[in-house]
Amino acid sequence: MDVEGEDASKVVHVKFVTKLDSPFKVPVTSVVIPSNLTRLGLSSIVNSLLTLENPEPFDFLIDGELIRMSLEEFLQAKGISAERTLEIEYIRAVAPRREEKPSLHDDWVSAVDGSSHRLILTGCYDGLGRVWSSAGYCTHILEGHSGAISSVALVNTEDAGSVTVATASKDRSLRLFKVDTDEPVDSTTKVGAYKILRGHKAAVQSVAAQKYGSMVCSSSWDCTINLWNTDQSTSEGDSVSTKKRKGNNQAAESQTEAEAESTFVGHTQCVSSVVWPEHDVIYSASWDHSVRRWDVDTGKETLNLYSGKALNTLDVGGEGSALVAAGGSDPVLRVWDPRKPGTSAPVFQFSSHASWISACKWHKSSWYHLLSASYDGKIMLWDLRTAWPLSIIDTHKDKVLSADWWKGDSVVSGGADSNLRISSGISIS
Amino acid sequence: MTAKKSEAAAEEDKIIDTKRKSGSVKSQKQKPAAKEAKSVEKEVKSLKEEDLLLESGTDSEYDGDGDSLSLNSDDFDSDFYDSEDDGSQRETENGDEVHGHDGSDGNVDDDDESEQVDSENGEEDGSEEGFEQDEAVEESDSSEDEVAPRNTIGDVPIKWYDDEKHIGYDITGKKITKKEKQDKLDSFLATMDDSKNWRKIYDDYNDEEVELTKEESKLIRRMLKGEAPHADFDPYAPYVDWFDWKKESIHPLSGAPEPKRRFIPSKWEAKKVVKYVRAIRNGTIKFDKPEEEPNYYLLWGDDSASDLRGKNLNFVPPPKVKLPGHEESYNPSPEFIPTAEEKAAYELMYEEDRPKFIPKMYTSLRSIPAYENALKESFERCLDLYLCPRVRKKRINIDPESLKPKLPSRKDLRPYPNSCYLEYRGHTGPVTSLSTERSGQWIASGSMDKSVRIWEVETGRCLKVWEFDEVVTCVAWNPLSDFSILAVAMGRDLVLLNTELGTDEEQKKIEDLLNVKDLPELVPSVAKIVTWRQDEKHGGVKITHFKTITYIDWHSKGDYLSTVMASGETRGVVVHQLTKRDTQKLPLKIRGLPVRTLFHPTQRGIFLIATKKNIRVYDLRKREGPIKKLETGLREISSMAIHPGGDNLIVGSKEGKMCWFDLDLSSRPYKTLKNHPKDITNVAFHRSYPLFASCSEDSTAYVFHGKVFNDMNENPLIVPLEILRGHSSSKGQGVLDCKFHPRQPWLFTAGADSIIKLYCH
Repeated sequence: MDVEGEDASKVVHVKFVTKLDSPFKVPVTSVVIPSNLTRLGLSSIVNSLLTLENPEPFDFLIDGELIRMSLEEFLQAKGISAERTLEIEYIRAVAPRREEKPSLHDDWVSAVDGSSHRLILTGCYDGLGRVWSSAGYCTHILEGHSGAISSVALVNTEDAGSVTVATASKDRSLRLFKVDTDEPVDSTTKVGAYKILRGHKAAVQSVAAQKYGSMVCSSSWDCTINLWNTDQSTSEGDSVSTKKRKGNNQAAESQTEAEAESTFVGHTQCVSSVVWPEHDVIYSASWDHSVRRWDVDTGKETLNLYSGKALNTLDVGGEGSALVAAGGSDPVLRVWDPRKPGTSAPVFQFSSHASWISACKWHKSSWYHLLSASYDGKIMLWDLRTAWPLSIIDTHKDKVLSADWWKGDSVVSGGADSNLRISSGISIS
Repeated sequence: MTAKKSEAAAEEDKIIDTKRKSGSVKSQKQKPAAKEAKSVEKEVKSLKEEDLLLESGTDSEYDGDGDSLSLNSDDFDSDFYDSEDDGSQRETENGDEVHGHDGSDGNVDDDDESEQVDSENGEEDGSEEGFEQDEAVEESDSSEDEVAPRNTIGDVPIKWYDDEKHIGYDITGKKITKKEKQDKLDSFLATMDDSKNWRKIYDDYNDEEVELTKEESKLIRRMLKGEAPHADFDPYAPYVDWFDWKKESIHPLSGAPEPKRRFIPSKWEAKKVVKYVRAIRNGTIKFDKPEEEPNYYLLWGDDSASDLRGKNLNFVPPPKVKLPGHEESYNPSPEFIPTAEEKAAYELMYEEDRPKFIPKMYTSLRSIPAYENALKESFERCLDLYLCPRVRKKRINIDPESLKPKLPSRKDLRPYPNSCYLEYRGHTGPVTSLSTERSGQWIASGSMDKSVRIWEVETGRCLKVWEFDEVVTCVAWNPLSDFSILAVAMGRDLVLLNTELGTDEEQKKIEDLLNVKDLPELVPSVAKIVTWRQDEKHGGVKITHFKTITYIDWHSKGDYLSTVMASGETRGVVVHQLTKRDTQKLPLKIRGLPVRTLFHPTQRGIFLIATKKNIRVYDLRKREGPIKKLETGLREISSMAIHPGGDNLIVGSKEGKMCWFDLDLSSRPYKTLKNHPKDITNVAFHRSYPLFASCSEDSTAYVFHGKVFNDMNENPLIVPLEILRGHSSSKGQGVLDCKFHPRQPWLFTAGADSIIKLYCH
């Protein structure tokens, strides 16, 4: 790196440090670099120091903040003196390094769930749920809904052999499926629901499973949130009608209909999204511009955040799994901290999207990272430490309707271009 | 004795005479004095007037002088009187003195003994005298004018009355008859008898005898002796040295009392004034004429003559001329002189752009030619003067910002739709009509591509498509949320479609309702207009009308549906009832072609029909004429919408104007908004937010804040909020319909570019 040729007055002494392991570790020595370098320049310096075979993009932090402008501007903006030796921490850039081949559906992909490492769950507007083991490999088709599926959720992922899947549909019902994941994946299996959950008077918008439990909750256009039991053998015997159904390559399976365990009433408009992050706490977002927190045992609402916009999506995570991120009918992704007393103002606002936000998900392990999907066809990866997106995935041709993290290093997303897309190789430390 | 007496008598006569004369003199003297005083007064007055005329308005000091002058003259006049009075008084006193003296004289001469006695009594008299003196003083104090003479003939010789029986006239005009004359003898005897006779005097003027008092006779006696007439006058009074010598004062001041002359206006000054007055009057003293102000002004003076501007209302300031610079010199520095190329460039320029003056160099002043444009410029100057506007336009200096009404900030009126994030694409022709489902989950749209589509609001997905044979003119969703029937108007047909979006029970209900196996029996007059049929193809009801349907409107209960046809009279509007499968004509005559109809949202039976010019409000239960007529003043009404409160109505027109009516207030628009340059195609109110919107052929939609207050006294607040652009024009058509989302502050617009847009807050 030719540093000597640069203007001597505009150089800074820096020291690169990292928490990364050996292949990405540089010797801790002070180097002199020109101050007008941006992230790209810094990254190339580190790469040249490392002498890697394949260049690796890095992101750089000074005092816990990501550099998103030239070094000089950053120092000026933060008021950091360039006299002393700067300590710049570098991390591997959060960006997808690989793009898997798209998995084509018959219709818009409205729901994606990546909470299990073994499979990806999608819901489609053709009324079928699908289970994918990896890109392009559909193992199961979950059939039965007469309307478009709006949301899917994995219940009880702890089971070794099989998983329970809950699907919510616009035909006002939810269905529960059992998917055997140990089966060979050479052909696609059609699965019928073992339980139909009826009780909503309008289209069901969202379903969420209890963490470490067997309950699911669902939200609907009828402004209610319903809680359902997913147990196969219902103790109350509320099997209203049983139907025999012949699957293609599956034996006849009994179907049970069940009614809601309890109903939370409080929202005044369509409840568009629910999450169940803790055992007895449910968060819900609604078109009535509010985010509410419900106590599962009492059915009372314990928190009401007013956002001012109709909300489409909600997720809870981040620091202490307490931050609420929500997006809706405007291009701004907002993050609230409900632990802050006396204020309902968002603590973070990310507004790089160009249209409505359809999905937002916190990273399961990181406190800082979350993704958002928007109708402008883009998925953006965010870090709370900077106001700019870390990276933008714009592989979708049309609206992105849903997105989720998968395996901790991939993003799965479905959109109006009827594709499930998987962007992998995202290194989040 | 006798001689003496006669003498005395003669003397008495004289005295009386003088007395009388003195009186006459007094009166004579008084009159001319008064005359003179008056004339002087006049003079002064006239002088004063002259002065005033001359000096009018010049300075105030002069006025004051005039005043003082008049005051002086007044004083001076009264002085005249005083002096004259004094004189007369003195004379009368003298007369009295003479009189008294005479009497005393007579007394002395008359009786020596008595004189003795008198002289003896003199001392007594002296004591008495003081007393009597006091009395006299008192008398003179109390009444200065004595008893008026009985006779009023005046100062005429009394001998004129010698031959008459009377001696004159008293104050009432009656004759005073002469007393009978006593015989000489009798009178003599009487005088002899009367010891006091020597003091009696005959006054032939009044024809009576006057008896002198004792002190009068004493006075006369003293005067005859040549003494001071008053007894108490001390001619040898002790000398009073008012100057205080003893203190050896350095100042020559006297302690004497202030002399009288100090309090009397100066006679000399008065005389001087009179002298001046006369001189002025005679013309010997002349005043300077007041200076005349020049009445010309600089015609082409500079602006600094601001007083001209004040006086002349039409003062037009002359144009300012640039001061000459170096380049206008006859021999300017060479850098001012344009080069040949520059001159050539000037020639190419337009005459107006060309510089007015091109510097040239001359060797001497003599070689400067005559100004070539002199004639032209003077002609133009004349033209300028000729064409100069005679009336000056008054420029009003008002800040245009201050004329704007104070409106609340747009930020405070949030939320309102402002940006488009979602588009609903799928139609292949202009979207003519939109309708929102009650819950806000779906919208329906009808298009020129002969299809009706249902869209999911949230994602923009088209859920259902119906294809028809004719262009869809209007779609309307049933306002009940559990009754998802869509009414579609195309051509002459009205089709009621089952959207199959409700729950199973609702579906059953709708299917039952839309299954018209047994066709309804219509009244013959209605049957001519309308026929009901089952539409097998789309699974609904088809109601065929006799003319093209232009508009449909549901009643808020979801049972009645009014259709507007392009026909006048009674057949323009019909009302269908779903549950009874019945159609009714309106029991009223409509003047003109109906354009839009509206069921009142709150009051039962109230029905609004808009024709091209006016809006009439009917009460359908009363079967009468309109209960109210709204005069819009618009050329052609295209649309109307009513506030959910029911008291306010907005009307859009084809000339781009929008009227806001307060139905309770007046039949004229409360406000007319002229915003669109082209036809307004639709206007809409939001159900819950204080918003209304209009969309137009100019491819824009306007969003307004329209707050209606519960307080009747407060006028609705109308604030323009946003112009929503984004649609592109297609064949001269822009936005064909706009509808608010029923629950969110969002606006759907249907464009002629076959796109439906959703504007969010």
